[in-house]
Amino acid sequence: MIEIKNLSFSYTGEEPYLIKDLNMSIPKGQLISVIGENGSAKSTLVKLLVGLLKPLKGSIVIESRNVAYVPQRMESFNKQFPITVEEVYKIHLKALGLKDMDLIDSALEEVSMKNYKKSLIGDLSGGQTQRIFIGRALLGNPEIIILDEPSTGMDLRSQKEVRQILKNLRKKGVSILTVEHNISAAIHNSDYIIRMGDNQGVLYDIKTFKTNIQHEDVDNMLVFRKEEI
Amino acid sequence: MLSYPFMQNALMAGAMIAVLCPIIGIFLVLRRYSMMGDTLAHSSLAGVAIGIVVGISPTLSSVIFTTLAAILIEFLRDRFKRYAEILMSVVMTLSVGIAIILVSSGQANTNINQYLFGSILTVTRQDLILVLVVTIITILAVSYFYNELIYTTFDEDGAHISNIKVKRVNYIFALLMGLSISVSIRITGVLVISSLIVLPVASAMQFKKGFRQTLFIAVLIGLLDIMLGLVFSYVLDSAPGGTIALMSVITMVGSLMLNPFNK
Repeated sequence: MIEIKNLSFSYTGEEPYLIKDLNMSIPKGQLISVIGENGSAKSTLVKLLVGLLKPLKGSIVIESRNVAYVPQRMESFNKQFPITVEEVYKIHLKALGLKDMDLIDSALEEVSMKNYKKSLIGDLSGGQTQRIFIGRALLGNPEIIILDEPSTGMDLRSQKEVRQILKNLRKKGVSILTVEHNISAAIHNSDYIIRMGDNQGVLYDIKTFKTNIQHEDVDNMLVFRKEEI
Repeated sequence: MLSYPFMQNALMAGAMIAVLCPIIGIFLVLRRYSMMGDTLAHSSLAGVAIGIVVGISPTLSSVIFTTLAAILIEFLRDRFKRYAEILMSVVMTLSVGIAIILVSSGQANTNINQYLFGSILTVTRQDLILVLVVTIITILAVSYFYNELIYTTFDEDGAHISNIKVKRVNYIFALLMGLSISVSIRITGVLVISSLIVLPVASAMQFKKGFRQTLFIAVLIGLLDIMLGLVFSYVLDSAPGGTIALMSVITMVGSLMLNPFNK
């Protein structure tokens, strides 16, 4: 699905690199969580994957051209912006060159937000806003959805709802790559884990991750809380 | 009052500016670039001073200088994203510096006051035509790039990923800003233009509507501010620019107090 070769990146354009000589083959049709401590370049990797940042060295080849992105909720929009959910979806559809406005209803239904079509986006709660952004990503019927910390800053119930939506999409064959700050949720929901740290990223299938890594140092990265799954 | 040709011209010019300023203003306010209006108004003043000193049409030199300043700000903003506010201060200081030097040289002070404080009651037919042309260009351009402008303003990263040419949209908007502000200051004045760009939009946002309706309400409020401002200025014999500015503040306070759809 995604082939990363000798990828290096820093925001200054020179060493030290945040990501150095990263090589990885990310498989298709899976739910993949990117985990790591703060500053381990999780969001940077995501922005490189969706083309918001350009690699200094190396390359990223994505098999599909139909990739959708769900940004980190709080950094991406102004709560005072006078725009309805329907308008947000309409401008996205037009940007994608799609004219079928019925797609709006089906995307809203997918994220259980059909009743909020006429609502102002600034009037929604954190969890509702995130669902709206996931719904927007679904409008173009993407093969891959890349999400940057979709559950950050939400209550536990909203986090569970968002993760359930991602699992449902995965069942429908959509490839999901999501930055996940909650390691227990990542272990519980994912098929693969990408662990970022030390300017590198390592891809594990979930079985290997659970048996070989979890007991070594994962507990030190984040507290393991079953109730948050 | 309406039988006087100067009032007819003033009302026509005011109506066009009432449409022009909120159309540009809504994108400026939502991009959190409210200061841009002031910055470009000061650039416009420098352009006027250059025109008067060099001996070419001050309006033409103002349009050129302001548009260049808007494009320069956009270019620098793209390069140094985190320092947008500082860049605007730099361009404003540069413009004010040029304007002060030229005005204090004694070669430009005879005409500069009408650009500083505006002269809506001395609007000529030539001014009217220029404002009309810029208003039509702006309406057509904003209508054509409506989707791209909203998307880029709401979520620049999302727009980029959705294949919108964000840089092109931003430069087109910079061009429209430069044009709109430079033709407006001849009528409203450097010191008042910001109130017409920012306040009707801020007032309209209190109604808690979607984008299209907010823009429509902002234009209506802009019209209300300018028309009432002109009428009061005629009745009270006060300066039109200042009266319009006060009207826009009163409307803003009224919108905040009523806040009819936000209870």
